[in-house]
Amino acid sequence: MEISPDSVTIFIWGYFRINATIVYTWVVMALLIIVSLLVTQNLSAGFALSRWQNFLETIVDSMRNQIREIVRQRPEPYLSFIGTLFLFISISNFLSIVPGYHPPTSSFSTTAALAICVFFAVPFFSITQSGLAGYLKYYIKPSIFMLPFNILGVISHTLTLAIRLFGNIMSGTLIGAILISVVPFFVPAVMEVLELLIGQIQAYIFAILAAVYVASATRAGRNRE
Amino acid sequence: MQIDVLTLIAQIINFVILVVLLKYFLYNRIVKVMDERKEKIISQLKDAGQKKQEAEQEAESYRKKLKELDDKYEEMLSNAHEEVESQRKELLKKAHGEIREAQAKWYEAIQHERQLFMNDIRQQAGKEVYAVARRALADLADADLGRQIIGFFIKKIQRLDEQEIDTLRKSIQGSKKSEIDINSAFEIPPEMRQKMIHEIQKQITTTINVRFTTSPDLICGIELKVNGRKISWNLENYLRDLEDSVTNAIERKMRENQENMYQEKQNGKRQEKE
Repeated sequence: MEISPDSVTIFIWGYFRINATIVYTWVVMALLIIVSLLVTQNLSAGFALSRWQNFLETIVDSMRNQIREIVRQRPEPYLSFIGTLFLFISISNFLSIVPGYHPPTSSFSTTAALAICVFFAVPFFSITQSGLAGYLKYYIKPSIFMLPFNILGVISHTLTLAIRLFGNIMSGTLIGAILISVVPFFVPAVMEVLELLIGQIQAYIFAILAAVYVASATRAGRNRE
Repeated sequence: MQIDVLTLIAQIINFVILVVLLKYFLYNRIVKVMDERKEKIISQLKDAGQKKQEAEQEAESYRKKLKELDDKYEEMLSNAHEEVESQRKELLKKAHGEIREAQAKWYEAIQHERQLFMNDIRQQAGKEVYAVARRALADLADADLGRQIIGFFIKKIQRLDEQEIDTLRKSIQGSKKSEIDINSAFEIPPEMRQKMIHEIQKQITTTINVRFTTSPDLICGIELKVNGRKISWNLENYLRDLEDSVTNAIERKMRENQENMYQEKQNGKRQEKE
């Protein structure tokens, strides 16, 4: 039984071995970009909206509101990063209802990659907001002796995020596979529904946590000022 | 739980690419459109607020104009009332004036009539009194009234005091003709004329001519005239007394009549009110 799509090789391109994780990630990316392109072709600033525009506006607006509540400042700089995290995980998990599809988020490589992205995003946003010196001061706060603990804290944040996402998605897929072999009818379907719900919750939690980390770093920078 | 390093790197790159692509194709566009709509709504609300304010101002101005018109209407109505009232008063005043004028004319006419009537009465009474007196005197003294009057006149001349005589003399001296006029209501018999001439010459002056004339206007009387001076006796005085008493009686009667008329008028008005 395959528990990670990393081990499923779809094709080999020269030196690179293109596995299912990368391919399904491309699929999700393509889906997101195509839908965005199609919908944003004919955007209307008036009061008569198309269904898709209305749908996307609702999602974007909800994300902006969530981010604003967490970071307590203008959500626009963080919207692209945190919004994409949410959309990518959400769609990746949602597509698990398609037979033969392996969610890329069930690969630890993917979740680790996303966690690393968050890991680098925190200093990125912090430096953008308060400059490099401001960011570095965060590690020696409240005194220089806290430096190792702060570094440890940042790394553990990233690790928790990665494991949390991977564990949930992987376990969902694993439970589904086990149940199909034990109880072939009915129960797996219910489990699929549950898995879908958990997948969305995970997307939400991941995005929220990323926002919290980013916010804590930038807010700390602001407080110092 | 393995990490494929290549996959990890690939996923990081994939994710970064996705973030960039979605930023341009999704978030920026959607946010821009939403902001535009927000601006539009804000501007429309502002516009609506402004229009509402304008409408309120306009409504206020119309209310003001309406009030002004109402006030003007009231003013014009009150002016018209005042004008009508003043015209009514003027007309009433004019009517009263005309009535007073007519009343004055009427009163004047009545006075004139009364005057004429009184003159008639006076003359008639004089004649009657003369006739009655003559008859009575004739009956009583068996003498002609003319003689009695002449006798009385002669006595009057005889009883003239010095001052009066002196005045008469001066008048005669002042006149060119040195002539005395004896004017009487009746013809004086020649013997009486002689007597009168004699008496005048005796009392006043000897160098004078006496001219006798008759005038029926003298109502049973006789008078001596010289250069504006006059000595006379006639029934005029008595008749004037009579005239006065008759006039008083008539006026009293007329006043009574007027009072009665006024009283009747007031009663009529009171009855109309009731």
